[in-house]
Amino acid sequence: MIQQLILNGIIAGSIYVLVALGFTIIYRTVKFFHFAHGVVFAAGAYFAYTFFILFNTNPLISFLLSVCLASLLGIAIDRFVYYPLRKNNAPNLVYLIASFGVFIFIQNLLQLIFGAQILTLRTGPIKEGHHILGAVITDIQILIIVVSFILFLLTYLFIQKSKIGNAIRAVSDDPIGARVVGIDSEKIILTAFAIGSAMAGVTGILISLETNIEPTMGLNAILKGMIASIIGGIGSIPGAILGGLFLGLAENLGIWKIQAGWKDAIAFGILIIFLLLKPSGITGIKTEKEQI
Amino acid sequence: MEYLIHILIITGIYIILTLSLNLIVGFTGLAALGHIAFACIAAYTSSLLALNLGISPWIGLLLGAILAAFLGMVIGLPSLRLKGDYLALATFGLGIIVYSIAKNWVSLTRGPMGLPGIPPFSLLGYEISSVWSYLILVLTFVLITYLAIRNITNSPFGRILKGIREDEIATLAMGKDVNKYKLIVFVVGAFFAGIAGSLYAHYIAFIDPSSFTVMESITVLLMVVFGGMGSLKGSIVGASILVVFPELLRFLGMPSSIAAPLRQMIYGLLLIILMVWRPQGLLGRFKFK
Repeated sequence: MIQQLILNGIIAGSIYVLVALGFTIIYRTVKFFHFAHGVVFAAGAYFAYTFFILFNTNPLISFLLSVCLASLLGIAIDRFVYYPLRKNNAPNLVYLIASFGVFIFIQNLLQLIFGAQILTLRTGPIKEGHHILGAVITDIQILIIVVSFILFLLTYLFIQKSKIGNAIRAVSDDPIGARVVGIDSEKIILTAFAIGSAMAGVTGILISLETNIEPTMGLNAILKGMIASIIGGIGSIPGAILGGLFLGLAENLGIWKIQAGWKDAIAFGILIIFLLLKPSGITGIKTEKEQI
Repeated sequence: MEYLIHILIITGIYIILTLSLNLIVGFTGLAALGHIAFACIAAYTSSLLALNLGISPWIGLLLGAILAAFLGMVIGLPSLRLKGDYLALATFGLGIIVYSIAKNWVSLTRGPMGLPGIPPFSLLGYEISSVWSYLILVLTFVLITYLAIRNITNSPFGRILKGIREDEIATLAMGKDVNKYKLIVFVVGAFFAGIAGSLYAHYIAFIDPSSFTVMESITVLLMVVFGGMGSLKGSIVGASILVVFPELLRFLGMPSSIAAPLRQMIYGLLLIILMVWRPQGLLGRFKFK
């Protein structure tokens, strides 16, 4: 029982890590809560559904097309909503509320197009999982853990080693200084939205292989991803990993004693405790614009 | 005709919610995103008291509002330490926790099955169950809320609230106990939101957690922002337009499977447009800081 709960915690945690990673890359460059990240995640799943189930496209091509479209959606959100706000020098709260607006708009657009019913990407019957150390794990769940680990490594190397990664860190640490040395911060922000949203798309497709697709799936994802980023240390990539796994384990071990319906309450309880007692999160990195 | 009165009653309930949230968000500048939680706790309190113990809805209304005010103090506590979007997230989270309690404490709230058969108010032996009499009841409470919040915001007390919004440190430097004022604002706002929740429960006669989701909180926030931050008339106008306008979709003959998401899409789009072009709303003069 305990092995299964820990495993479930790691699987849920991996999903939170993936959402939190995309969210963190975007947060580093823009420094506000991109709440609509969750709806990009849901849109990724629906894109895959459209190509794979409705148009019968090859799985790999559907996957690549959906991820590209999710990435474009993220860029479009930045161009049409956040860019005018940046021009207005809007405070963070205005970004957050506008982001809620984007979220509500796209989520209901998805519902209008595809209906409120539950859809699935699965075509064959559900296969029985493998038994490892007294726990059951399915192929898809192994894939989720592996992909989340690979994406974490790639993101970490990309941010730390690559030239664009360097520019992202520069914009994150000191936007004016970055401009002085000739970094186009608008281009870096677009790159961050493209990469972060593509990751949201990948995550959305992975989770819809594991569970189902429904218009409201983005809310849970972004809430958990955001909580994971904050308790891990907002803007920190190792923090996103720690926060995601911590949250996944805490939720799943929490329901060992309490009913499963309380997962959300546990997650937000943890968030509020962190916000009040240790707002800089587990890794404790303080960002410049942090208002606490 | 009955349908028209029904829309007016719902509008009245939303006006109470919007006015009370405007006190917190518009006048004091505290980003609270869990407003519907107050309505939720009061609605459940007065419904459960009436259903299980046979207590008069009037007493239930008062007790529910007091309990909501107490919850307001709890939700207000983070505002003493957090600002801006972090406070928004914390209050959002508390809203989800309250929703989660309503949904999962099945032995008390019956969870997603909801509470049917909530008795109506009665006055001098007459039941207030027709839509006309209920409209008068709701309008009375709208008037009480409006006068109370107008008097609060026009008083020296209200000036301190605006001081907190404009420059918290200067207000603190003038020797005002900022924390105390913030808590009072949350308590008063929650009290009136609680009244709105009880009015809703005894009118519809059925409540379930789905009436109190976080999206409702955002809708109420949209009404405040749309009407204008720190403008009481704006709140009345904002809530009225945003309740009545989507109903017009129904008159166009749209089935609810299209009208419901379309209404939400309009709300979402409106939030974006307001934030980009007119953060102070229709009648307001103040913006988010």
